[in-house]
Amino acid sequence: MSGPPDHPQHEHPHAPVGADEKPSYYDMMETAVRELLIERGLIGAGEIRRQIEVLDSRTPALGAKVVARAWVDPAFKQRLLADGRKACEEFGISFYDDTELIVLENTETVHNLIVCTLCSCYPRPVLGLPPDWYKLKPYRARAVSEPRAVLAEFGTHIPNGVDIHVSDSTAMVRYLVLPKRPANTETYSEETLAAMVTRDAMIGVVEVAAPTQEVT
Amino acid sequence: MGTEELLKRLPTDMGGLPADAIVRSEHDLLPWEKRCHALADVLDFHKIINTEEKRRGVEALGAEMVGKLSYYERWIAAFANILFAKGILSPADLARKMDEVEARWSATGS
Amino acid sequence: MNGEIAKASITSDAQVVLALGEAPAFGVGDRIRILTRMPVGHYRVPRYVRGRSGIVEAVIEPTMIDNEAEAYGRNAGMRRHYYRIAVPMTELWPDYEGSPRDGLRIEVFETWLERI
Repeated sequence: MSGPPDHPQHEHPHAPVGADEKPSYYDMMETAVRELLIERGLIGAGEIRRQIEVLDSRTPALGAKVVARAWVDPAFKQRLLADGRKACEEFGISFYDDTELIVLENTETVHNLIVCTLCSCYPRPVLGLPPDWYKLKPYRARAVSEPRAVLAEFGTHIPNGVDIHVSDSTAMVRYLVLPKRPANTETYSEETLAAMVTRDAMIGVVEVAAPTQEVT
Repeated sequence: MGTEELLKRLPTDMGGLPADAIVRSEHDLLPWEKRCHALADVLDFHKIINTEEKRRGVEALGAEMVGKLSYYERWIAAFANILFAKGILSPADLARKMDEVEARWSATGS
Repeated sequence: MNGEIAKASITSDAQVVLALGEAPAFGVGDRIRILTRMPVGHYRVPRYVRGRSGIVEAVIEPTMIDNEAEAYGRNAGMRRHYYRIAVPMTELWPDYEGSPRDGLRIEVFETWLERI
């Protein structure tokens, strides 16, 4: 194996930092950089606070809403596939980072998954922040060279008759997978459908699970 | 065996390299990590440090730091270096302010 | 070179000359190769696709800044198109296990591509 391991040990869950626990070296560095930039008038304190709120407001629930709408409204789906960002903006989802969005539809013949081999490009405006595993070496190295083995690790088995397309983000375009709508959901409300769509289904590593019992 | 590969392949360029099984790790961001992410976005809005500059700054830390620092630790280290290179802050400024932040903590315990 | 100087009609009898780089150099369906250049410093074309050939699946609009220059603080400047390129997995990995129709999709800046 070549290259640094990208130290998985640093991405394990942390215990909450207590009020009497000294901030880490990097925590203090962040505070110092931020305060210096604010003191010099280069950024505003309010901007940081506001951007934290922006980040907190971006969760997979937004993407799930978009997916559910695409499932029930064919005209919206066409708009979504033609211009992902513009269609999301119909929901008020702003693209504060100025990226574009291409929505990749999973069908009976194509299964999509997304990765950023060079860093961690991810459709943050519509999905929130990516999970650690998406940013670490195992996924980034192997999604582009052995996608079927990677999918199997997530419990996903795509038959050989279905083509796998792996999209590697390198520039200003971000990707969102439009998963297949599970069978036997014709009577489901848009809300119920949205609740079934997980973040991992919109990354493309899992499919949306078929319903196991009658739901309205 | 030359050292050229160290220059020819960025430490972050891992597509296709051999790697382990995926560990489905996740963690809620620590408060400072979230502030760091917000800082990155605000720096990009102002074009003080754009997103691509941040990426290059992380790469420029080199393989050892890229391997040993966590995700947001790499960001804040990269920001410091870039701000120094642009003459926006000096290393002495940052050192002084970090001492002040540390002293504040020692004085009040928070 | 295709697209370097292109004339487009706006109305049935107006002809305009596009600025250099305004028109896409490549179109959907074109066969291209990703160059084997080895820049020192920052790059956004991963090693594993260098020298590989593929097909243009989409021309991404609008023109955008070269992100490799942007990384050095150039927030404006030469704008060209990015292209979404389809490369078969079997082109990338000689021992690829999976369907021969599995493929990679990746955006590449115009200056990293040549027609084949």
